Amino acid sequence: MTRFLFRRTAQAVPLLLLISALVFALLHAAPGGPLAIYLSNPNVRPQDIERLRHALGLDRPLAEQYWAWLGAFVRGDWGYSYSDGRAVAARVWERLPATLELVGVAIVAAVVLALPAGVASAVKRGSRLDRLVAALAMTGISLPAFWFGLLLQMIFAVLLGWLPSSGRTVPGGGDLIDHLRHLVMPAAVLAFVQAAGWSRYLRGSMIATLRQPFVTAAAARGVPRRRVLLRHALRPALGPVLAIVMVDAALLVSGAVVTESVFAWPGLGSLFTESLARRDYTVLMALLMLASFAIVALNVVADAAHTLLDARVALT
Amino acid sequence: MRRAAAATVLLATALAGCARRSAGVPPSNDLLIVGYDREPDTLNRFSTHILEDIQTCVVEGLTTTDEKMNVVPLVAERVPTLENGGVVLRADGGMDVAWKLRSGVTWHDGTPFTSADVKFTVDAINSPSYNPESTDGFDRISAVDTPDPLTAIVHYREIYAPYDIQFIRGALPRHVLEGRDVDRAQDYNRNPLGTGPYRVAEWKAGEYIRLERVAHYWRGDPMPAVKQILFMFVPNTNTRINQLKSGEVHIVAQVPWDKYKEVVGLPGLAIRRTPGNAYEHVTLNERQFPPFADVRVRRALTHALDRELYVKTILDGLAPVAHGPIQPVSWAYTDKIVRYPFDPARARTLLDEAGWRVGANGIRERDGRALAFTLITQAGYAIRESVAQAIARQLRDVGVDVKVELHDGTAISALWFEGKFEAMLHWWQMPSDPELTTFFAADRTPPSGRNINYFSSAELTTLLYESDRTIDREARKRLLARAQAIIADQAVEIPLYNVVKLDAIPASLQHFTGNPTNTGIFWNVHEWEIK
Repeated sequence: MTRFLFRRTAQAVPLLLLISALVFALLHAAPGGPLAIYLSNPNVRPQDIERLRHALGLDRPLAEQYWAWLGAFVRGDWGYSYSDGRAVAARVWERLPATLELVGVAIVAAVVLALPAGVASAVKRGSRLDRLVAALAMTGISLPAFWFGLLLQMIFAVLLGWLPSSGRTVPGGGDLIDHLRHLVMPAAVLAFVQAAGWSRYLRGSMIATLRQPFVTAAAARGVPRRRVLLRHALRPALGPVLAIVMVDAALLVSGAVVTESVFAWPGLGSLFTESLARRDYTVLMALLMLASFAIVALNVVADAAHTLLDARVALT
Repeated sequence: MRRAAAATVLLATALAGCARRSAGVPPSNDLLIVGYDREPDTLNRFSTHILEDIQTCVVEGLTTTDEKMNVVPLVAERVPTLENGGVVLRADGGMDVAWKLRSGVTWHDGTPFTSADVKFTVDAINSPSYNPESTDGFDRISAVDTPDPLTAIVHYREIYAPYDIQFIRGALPRHVLEGRDVDRAQDYNRNPLGTGPYRVAEWKAGEYIRLERVAHYWRGDPMPAVKQILFMFVPNTNTRINQLKSGEVHIVAQVPWDKYKEVVGLPGLAIRRTPGNAYEHVTLNERQFPPFADVRVRRALTHALDRELYVKTILDGLAPVAHGPIQPVSWAYTDKIVRYPFDPARARTLLDEAGWRVGANGIRERDGRALAFTLITQAGYAIRESVAQAIARQLRDVGVDVKVELHDGTAISALWFEGKFEAMLHWWQMPSDPELTTFFAADRTPPSGRNINYFSSAELTTLLYESDRTIDREARKRLLARAQAIIADQAVEIPLYNVVKLDAIPASLQHFTGNPTNTGIFWNVHEWEIK
C-alpha cells in the first residue's frame, strides 16, 4: 500500500505541472484579461489600462508570468486576486465550507437514491420497476441543471412560497432550519442529476456481476438470496461505480458551477463563474489546480478502495 | 426504502410547517432588500471597476449627479463655477477651482471632514504607489492648497471642463490611510469610512452586504428613514427575477427589458423608467473593414434599418430611437441634426452610387470583393441578440451580407480595445459630462481613446478639443451642437435606441427618482422612505 501511494504521488507531480502550464496558457489565450472589464466605465481611459497592466505585471512575457506564479504557488503563496486585491487563499477558503456542505449533502443523497435504484433495477431487469427507474434516470441525465433549478424555484419559491429561492442563509438567520431550507433545492438538483447517472452505472455493473460463476456458486451453496445480492454481488459491483463517484465528487467539490450560480450559493462554483467572467487569473488558477489535485487524489482513493471491495483487484 | 420514504415525508412536512415564514419579509423602513447582480470587488470608490451603488450609500462625493444629470453639491457647499467665482481661468492656460466644504460634516468615526482629506486624495491618486481605476482629471492637477479646513483650492495645469465631477467619488480619509498601501488596505477597502447616511455593518463573502444607517448623519437626525439596506448578490438574472416575484427581494435595478413583462403588474411593485445616458448603436470599424470609410455606404446602412420597428416589436416600446451619441437627458443635446428614416430604396441607390453592384447571389460586390462583414455583440442579452438578427436580415434585403457573432463581455471589451472587429452592436454608457472627444477625435483611437470607428475628421477633432477647453456652458453647447451635426451628417456610426433603465422598486417607496448615469439609483438614498 505504501509503495502504491508513493508511486502514484510521484506520477501525479509531473501530471499536475503539465496541467498547470496548459491551463495557464489556455486562460491567457482567452480574449480579454483582468483589466478588460474596466473598459465599461466611460471614465477609464485606455491610458489607465496601460498603467494598471504595467502595475499588475500583466505586460511581462507569458513564460515569465508563469514561472513567477508557479514558484510562488508551490511555496504556498497563491497571490492576490486581480479583482478585489485580497489574498487568493483567503477567497478560496472562505467559499470552501459552502461547497463542502452542498456537495456533501448532495452526494450522500445521491448515493442513497442510486444504490437501491441501481440494485433493484438490475435484479428485476425488464420489470415495470426497471423501466420506471430507467425513465427517471434518463430525465435526470438529460435535464439541464440550470433549467431544473429554475423550475424548482418557480414551484417552491414563487408559487408555493415554501422555500427561499436562493442563497445560503437569511441575514440574521443562519440557524440549522434556515440552512436546511436553503439547502433543499440546490442539493436536490445535484443529487437527482448525479443519482440518475450513478444508478445506471450500478445497474450495469450489477448485471455483469450477477452473471459471474461465483454468484451462481454462492446461490447453489444455499447462501440466502439477500446475502448473495448485497454481499457477494454488490461489493464487487460497487468497485467501478465507486471510481466514477469519486471523480464526480472531485468535480463537484471544485465547484458545482451551474447549480451554485442558479441558486446564488456562495461556494467555489460561483466563485469560479465570477472569476471567469472577470478573468481573475490568480483565483482561476488556484481553483483549477485544486480541482486537478482533487481529481488525482480521489482517483488514488478510489483505486485503493476498489481493492478493499473486490479481492480480485490488486494495487499496481 | 420505507424508512427513507418516511424521512422524506417528515422532512417535507417540517418544511411545509415553516411555509408561512419563508415568503420573504415585506419592504419596510426597518429593512429594504436589493437583489444585486454581482458582488462588488472593493468598496473603495476609487479602486472599484463596477457600479458604485453600495458605495454611494456610504461614501459621499463633493458633488453628485441628480436624476436630470445636473451636477449638484453634496459635501461641497456649492458647485464652483465661473459665475460664482469658484473657478478662475489663469493667464498661463491653467485653472483654479475653489471647493468650499460644508461645515459640520464628519467621517463616521467622528473626525471632521476637511480640505486636508481632499488634498490627500489627489496626492494618493497621483502617487505611483496606488493603483486607482482611473486617474482622469487628477493627472492634470499640479497642486492643492488648503488655506483653511473648509477650503480646498485645486490648481489644474490646463483647462478641464468636467472639473465639477472631479470629486464625485468623494475623498479618502487621510487619518486612516496616510502612509499606507491603499491597494492592500483591506480594512478600508472592505469597510470604507465615509460621510454618507449608511455604513457597512456586514459583508458576507458571496452572499450579501448589509448597510446600517449611521447614528448622526450630518443632514440631521430624521434622515435617513430606512434603517437597513441589504444587498443580496444574485448574479443569475432569472433567479433575481424569481426573487422579486417571490418577495424575497424588494428592489432590482436595471431589470433586463426582456423580463419587463414578467414583473410589470406584480402586486406591491412599481417599475420606474429612467431614460439613460447611454445609447445602443452599431460601430463601423473603418480600419478593419475599409468599405465603411465611404460615407455613402454608412448612410445606406443607416437607411436600411427600420429602427422604429425594432423599438415597437423587439423592445416592446420601452425605449425611444436614438439619433446620436448625446442623449436627450444631457444639457448638450440637440435635435437639429440630419436623420435617416427607414428607406431601403434610398439605401440601394446609395450603395449603387458607391459602386457596390448586386452580384449573382444577391450580395453586392465591387472589384471582386463582396460587401460582407461580421457583426459582433455580447452574448447573454436576449434583446441584443434579436436586434443583431434583425439588422442582419434587413441589411441582407439591400444586398449586404452580415454574419452575427456572440462573445462574452470580457472578450468583447478586449476585441474593441484591440480594434479587432468589423462591426459591433453595443452601448456606451456616456460620461455625465458631455465629452465626445474620446469617442470621435481622430487621434483618440485605441489605445489612446475609444474612437473605435477609426473615423477621422479634422474639423470634428478641432471642435471637440475646443469644447473640452471651454468652461462657459452656452459656448460649449454651441460647439457640441456643431459636433453632433457633423457626426449625424457623416453617419459615423448607426445609433439605434436610447437605453432606458427599468428599476423595480416597492410601490410604497417614496422619493425614488432613478438616475440616468453610473451614479446609480441610490444617489438620494437618504431621502427614501416606505409609506
